[in-house]
Amino acid sequence: MEAGSKNTGSAGGAEKKLLSVQNLRVSYHTYAGEVQSVRGVSFDLEEGSALAIVGESGCGKSVTARSIMGLIKPPAGEIKPGSRIFYRGEDIVQYDRKKLEQYRGGECAIVFQDALAALNPTMRVGKQIMENLIAHRHMGKQEALREAVEMLRRVGIPEPEKRVRQYPHQFSGGMRQRVMIAIAFACDPKLLICDEPTTALDVTIQGQILDIIKDLQKKHRTSVILITHDLGVVANIAREIAVMYAGMIVERGSSEDIFYRPRHPYTWALIRSVPRLDDENKAELESIPGTPPDLIDPPKGCPFCTRCRYCMDICREEMPENADFGAGHTASCWLHHPLAPKVEMPDYEKEDRQ
Amino acid sequence: MVKYIIRRFLEMILTLFLIATATFFLLEAVPGDPLTQRADKLQPQSRERLYERYGLDKPVLERYLLTMEGLARGDFGESFVYAGQTVGGLIQSRLPVSARLGLQQMILGVGVGLLLGILAAMKRGTLIDYLVVGLSVLLISIPHLIFGLMLQKIFAGTLRILPTIGWPSGDELWFGGWKYTILPTLTGCFSYIAIYARLLKTSMLDVVNQDYVLTAESKGLSRGAVIRRHILRNSFIPVMTQLPMSVAMCITGSFFIESIFSIPGIGQYYVTAVNNQDLSIVMGETVLLSLLYIVVLFITDILYAVVDPRISMPGAGK
Repeated sequence: MEAGSKNTGSAGGAEKKLLSVQNLRVSYHTYAGEVQSVRGVSFDLEEGSALAIVGESGCGKSVTARSIMGLIKPPAGEIKPGSRIFYRGEDIVQYDRKKLEQYRGGECAIVFQDALAALNPTMRVGKQIMENLIAHRHMGKQEALREAVEMLRRVGIPEPEKRVRQYPHQFSGGMRQRVMIAIAFACDPKLLICDEPTTALDVTIQGQILDIIKDLQKKHRTSVILITHDLGVVANIAREIAVMYAGMIVERGSSEDIFYRPRHPYTWALIRSVPRLDDENKAELESIPGTPPDLIDPPKGCPFCTRCRYCMDICREEMPENADFGAGHTASCWLHHPLAPKVEMPDYEKEDRQ
Repeated sequence: MVKYIIRRFLEMILTLFLIATATFFLLEAVPGDPLTQRADKLQPQSRERLYERYGLDKPVLERYLLTMEGLARGDFGESFVYAGQTVGGLIQSRLPVSARLGLQQMILGVGVGLLLGILAAMKRGTLIDYLVVGLSVLLISIPHLIFGLMLQKIFAGTLRILPTIGWPSGDELWFGGWKYTILPTLTGCFSYIAIYARLLKTSMLDVVNQDYVLTAESKGLSRGAVIRRHILRNSFIPVMTQLPMSVAMCITGSFFIESIFSIPGIGQYYVTAVNNQDLSIVMGETVLLSLLYIVVLFITDILYAVVDPRISMPGAGK
């Protein structure tokens, strides 16, 4: 996983793997200094599967998403040397402009959080979908228009023939996000990144939007990366979850593992901070005290140590290794070292049964 | 929509009326009258006849009413200073001169300015960007007067390749006689370059950071398509709304430039008329120029709605 493994067969066996991110490090250069937004993120994504990346604001999840889209812009943004993003065995970090343009939109699409900001206010909605079709599927105008109407119908927008000629401001929030999804799915991408797709919407609409994404994912066998800070949203779509904190993945596993047998104190805290309607005793909603570390000068030890109630001396000094719990469930925390004091691990599955 | 236009039209009449009234009484408040100089050397009898001929013997209020009545009919009257000259004739002979000068300045200045603006925005933070910005500040800080004199000195004085003063007339009023127009056009176009380069650059940098540009890039559109369809179109909104104002300004002429290059335009004459207290000429020009500006502002409002679909005309329905 170190930067040493250059151009070797690390992408081998990529027939099933759609995407393989290896040691991704991204920095933003600001006046205050170099912000290390993403600090060595690695994960694989199989074809047709869905992965959720969960974490609070500023943990680097959106930057990870943009890196995969090839949207990190120099000179402010920089993908550090040694970072690799293999898409079907090809490293997109090395792509030239032409290949990147084919990859974006054609192979890989993204849905942003705020559809009002993400849609061009002076361009008709239909044209914004058609652009995609004309660029990647080489359609003529008439054909693209028909397809755009069809896309709008598929994401559940009523009267698509009329709507296709309207501007974004004439749509409601939920409808705008549907348009974004229509744009993203227009060219039948193999990989869809949803960057907080429901955060800007009210709760009643959130479910509908997630259902549309889920439905299209199944029909098109698209792989999905869902970026969110809302664990409630995750459960609906993703079978696998990666928990990010301060630019790193601190825990990774199936959604059952993460929800019922989390092994990282940050994940515990996250789960406890999700409001639950079925909570009989009306327990107070927990929050995580403190703030994430400054990524201009990241801590050398575990980044969560300042907010962790189990913090030990070693946590401040050294970054813990990944502890493996089988079936792809890993967490990087010193508590799992054989010499660490025993802490009772939560088991929410059992709690639920009681 | 019709209702809106009617309302705007009525507002326009009211504005013009107020401007005309203010102009009349301001000129009236100035000591002396337009005929003082001409009448000085005349016999008392002839002087009286002169005042009678121009209606200056009547009391202020009556003259005000007469002037307003004339305005309503579109009759601005005759020059007090140059016998036989009417405002209509004056506009006819001088406006094309000013308009050609102004349009040449504007087309050149806005064109170059926009190109430089795009360049500066695209090459942000590079030497090109700093050059464009620095040059704009410099160009906008130096008065026309200095530029004009400098250009005259270099091209007409030292190099002797262009005429110092003058302006094509007759058949060459609109086309031809280009060598006379080069220096005045250059002198005036610099401020357009400065204004539009900065306006477009600021606006483009604002748009480049918008999420929809990221969306456009995530669609895999080519760099050119992103700039043309997504960045430029939205960056042009402030430019489009500034343009009509510039057109009005360019038509009404630039007084300093016309003076330096002895161009018989409307701006030069306007100032002479004020100095002479040539009431009817000042009145006529003021009202016509105000009319021009009012119409231009109206066009600007319509343009807003044309370029930006989020703005709808009042009463235009949904």
